[in-house]
Amino acid sequence: MDVIQATVKEYILEEFLPGVNPAELTETTPLISGAILDSLATLNLVSYLEERFGIEIQPHEASVDWLDTLADIERLVRSKL
Amino acid sequence: MNPGPSTAAGSTLRLERLVPYALRITGSALLLTAAAATLADRDLAPPGLAIGLLGLVGFALLLHADSLTAPGGWHRIPGPAELERADVREHLAKFGAIAAQLALLAVVIRLFSVENAAFYERVVPLTLAAFVLNHLLPLEYRLRFFVGASITGVLLVFGPGSGAWLLAIGLVLIGICHLPIPFRARVALLLAAGAGLAFLRIGGGFRAPWSSAIWPILGSMFMFRLIIYMYDLRHAKEPARPARTLSYFFLLPNVVFPLFPTVDYATFRRTYYDADPFWIYQRGVQWMLRGVVHLMLYRLVYHHLVITPAEVADTTDLLRYLVANFLLYLKVSGLFHMIVGMLHLFGFHLPETHRLFYLSSSFTDFWRRINIYWKDFMMKVFYYPAYFRLRKRGDTFAIVVSTLIVFFATWFLHSYQWFWILGTFLISWPDVLFWLILAVLLVVNSLHEAKHGRKRSLGARVWSPGQRTGQALRIAGTFATICILWSLWTAPTVGDWLNLWAVAGRPQSLAGIGGMAVVPALLLGVVTVRDRVRRGVEGVAGQPAGARTPTFRRVVVRTGAGIVLLLLVAVSMAVADRFGPRASALARTLRTAELNRRDATLLQRGYYERLVGVTRLNGQLWEVYMKRPQAARGIWETEVGHVRGDFLGRELRPDRSVEFYGMPFTTNRWGMRDRDYARERPAGVHRTAVLGASVPMGWGVGDGETFEALVERALNEPSGDPGRPRYEWLNFGVAGYTPAQYLRLLEDRIGGFEPNIVLVITHGSDPSDAVWHLADVARRGIAIPYNDLRVFVRQAGIQQGMAHDEARRRLGPHADSILARVYGRIVRATRELGAIPAWVYIPTHEAPTTPEQLATLIQLARDAGFAVLDLSDVYDGHDPATLQLSEWDWHPNAKAHALIADRLASALRVHGESLGLDLPAAPEIRAVAAP
Repeated sequence: MDVIQATVKEYILEEFLPGVNPAELTETTPLISGAILDSLATLNLVSYLEERFGIEIQPHEASVDWLDTLADIERLVRSKL
Repeated sequence: MNPGPSTAAGSTLRLERLVPYALRITGSALLLTAAAATLADRDLAPPGLAIGLLGLVGFALLLHADSLTAPGGWHRIPGPAELERADVREHLAKFGAIAAQLALLAVVIRLFSVENAAFYERVVPLTLAAFVLNHLLPLEYRLRFFVGASITGVLLVFGPGSGAWLLAIGLVLIGICHLPIPFRARVALLLAAGAGLAFLRIGGGFRAPWSSAIWPILGSMFMFRLIIYMYDLRHAKEPARPARTLSYFFLLPNVVFPLFPTVDYATFRRTYYDADPFWIYQRGVQWMLRGVVHLMLYRLVYHHLVITPAEVADTTDLLRYLVANFLLYLKVSGLFHMIVGMLHLFGFHLPETHRLFYLSSSFTDFWRRINIYWKDFMMKVFYYPAYFRLRKRGDTFAIVVSTLIVFFATWFLHSYQWFWILGTFLISWPDVLFWLILAVLLVVNSLHEAKHGRKRSLGARVWSPGQRTGQALRIAGTFATICILWSLWTAPTVGDWLNLWAVAGRPQSLAGIGGMAVVPALLLGVVTVRDRVRRGVEGVAGQPAGARTPTFRRVVVRTGAGIVLLLLVAVSMAVADRFGPRASALARTLRTAELNRRDATLLQRGYYERLVGVTRLNGQLWEVYMKRPQAARGIWETEVGHVRGDFLGRELRPDRSVEFYGMPFTTNRWGMRDRDYARERPAGVHRTAVLGASVPMGWGVGDGETFEALVERALNEPSGDPGRPRYEWLNFGVAGYTPAQYLRLLEDRIGGFEPNIVLVITHGSDPSDAVWHLADVARRGIAIPYNDLRVFVRQAGIQQGMAHDEARRRLGPHADSILARVYGRIVRATRELGAIPAWVYIPTHEAPTTPEQLATLIQLARDAGFAVLDLSDVYDGHDPATLQLSEWDWHPNAKAHALIADRLASALRVHGESLGLDLPAAPEIRAVAAP
């Protein structure tokens, strides 16, 4: 798994899924469309990504198209680095 | 002799050229035939379903021809050898299973008359055929085909005239979105176009050249989706494609459903055939089935659980009122499941619109579960942009303000939606308060979640007994709060809502107390099985990781069994009459989309007065009312109607002639809707005074087409008997009148006309009408000329200025007693005139009277001293739809008036002796052709 993905995965597990088996969270697990991350959680994730990677995320990017899976998140972060 | 390789290759080449050519010729011929047949009708009426299907098949053939001439086109077609392959046969078996389920479901929808005739007679069969044709096409051609199917739907429902206008207006709006000008300029143009359309919507001095019926659909297609589309155009990763854009706006089911889920464009684009097609189709069938079940449950709630505010007498009634009101939302969830299920059939793998919202455990949970598409729309267009802009001032500030913005937008856009559907903005204090209170609750809940987080899991959650109990209590608390808020939202005024709570704490039944206690226990049980039920039924498409996935076959069997069960229920309803009146009444409420008594009363009142109570959630009623042409006026809005403001209330002005419902409406010098008569009864004339409301008055039919005019003409047909009297029937019917007003009119005016018979026409709602009128005059401080009625008012504690619902609630328990007094006075007043009192029951379609109600009424009439004529069977053997004025007005048309006249004449012959009538053997009523 890519470094960005691994970092984000660690954050998601710690912040939103404590006690969950890390192997269950894969790079294609649907986070927003699977109702794991609601709107508040998504905004927390956005804040984390901006702080951790020094990027700026736009309002329209806080959605399923850009943040639904770890793979999507990695693509978004890379596009802004 | 075997053909050589070159000969075989040559044959194949010719085939590859000939087949597309033949397909194009055939497809074009079918399309042109369908177009010609559609345009052949001078009135541009909607074409028949067969014509629509012909055109659609033609279009599919043209697309097939294109696909075959595209590179690699022929390789998609399985040859004889390939058909033997197991995967191809499995493909065919799955397709067949889904098609079979759909066919059965279409039958179920038809038998239950789900929603409206345009849906079950046209759109459902069209969808079934289009599903098959769509799947047979290569994937790249399906979006185009779906556009063709959607356009066919528009033409089938609205006809080529209005349908073309709807499509043209839509194309203009879409075109504005893509103009090569700055984004803000396009937004400004769209706002200007919207303002222009809004002006036309309210009939602003210009008569639109299209049917007013397209407004709700046009509004539904564009009012929200344009906002989402423009937002996504600005931020989309890929450019828009014409077929996808047209599909998005002209979604096939939208043509018959003005209330429509706010489909997100990005989701629409992203989820198109994004999983195994058969799982997508199967989920569509499941959701359509779920939609039918919700709609049937809605009918049961609507007819058998809902009570009016006036009927709330104690805490048990209050609980019933609160819960039933909220359960009416099953209408919306049922419709949305049906709609999104239908879209699945064309590969649109959209997410669910509602998720067990009755089991929400908090207000934020409720917001996430109910109308999910709306929530996503609000979050995307309002919440996130606001939050991102405000977060510099702190998270708490950003959450609070963004949430308030979302709820302001929700309140405003709901009113905006109702503007397009009904042609008027529905703004009320209960509406404002509802959204404001919900916003505050959500803000508090959100801040709590932001601080403390909430439990999440990737798979099925394991609950301890303590956690389940806590969850059940939270669900009960959320459910109760939402029920209370919902009742505020649907109340006409805040005062009416507060009056409801006056009954809280009144002595209640043990059953009521038991019911309250059992609710949390029920919820506990539901929570226990909830996750298991959901995961077992949903199927593999979109399942969270870790869920056990049932096989396709198992899902088909379960869904198919559900459809067959509904089919058996529908079939058993056809023989429900054999099991008694209750079974028959239950079957009728499931089978038809008729109004319940509350809404029928509101509709009747709405004909005669400015309509109130047609709120956004009064589903059945606004569906009828929104079909009402904008220009339609009540009689009291014409120069014929006169409001007096006393106990009589209203009257018809004398010597007036207007056009009403497009028909001549003339009053004589006495203010009757009738020909002229001398005041004193001439010698040799037998007179009948007809008292009643809008039906005898002849609402919607022309002069001389009323049943009393027909009976009069028939009775006066030459009989060859010189000693036979002449008959005069005097029409004193006035729209909106109630029994007490008949009494007032009888005492005030009718005496001078010296009737031989006074005929009171009733339709079964006399008890509630009597209460309605007495409550109205009492709360308005109008003098009541009858002491016994004043006693009722005093004993009920009605005060001037009291809310109408509260006054009715207090008088409601005395309805039969009030009516008995009024009937008694009518009979005495009639006898004092030397006339014979007769009471005639004529059924109405919008509010059927139960056998028990009719028996009670007949007994009241007999006890008062009326001769009773029961015309319950007057419409037997006739399709009710052919006997009413229009789809939105259930008053009897000219054909129905002729039936009433004929039946009444028969009844008069039977009761002739008791009525002092000497009638010929068979006076014929010449039925007037229905308009």
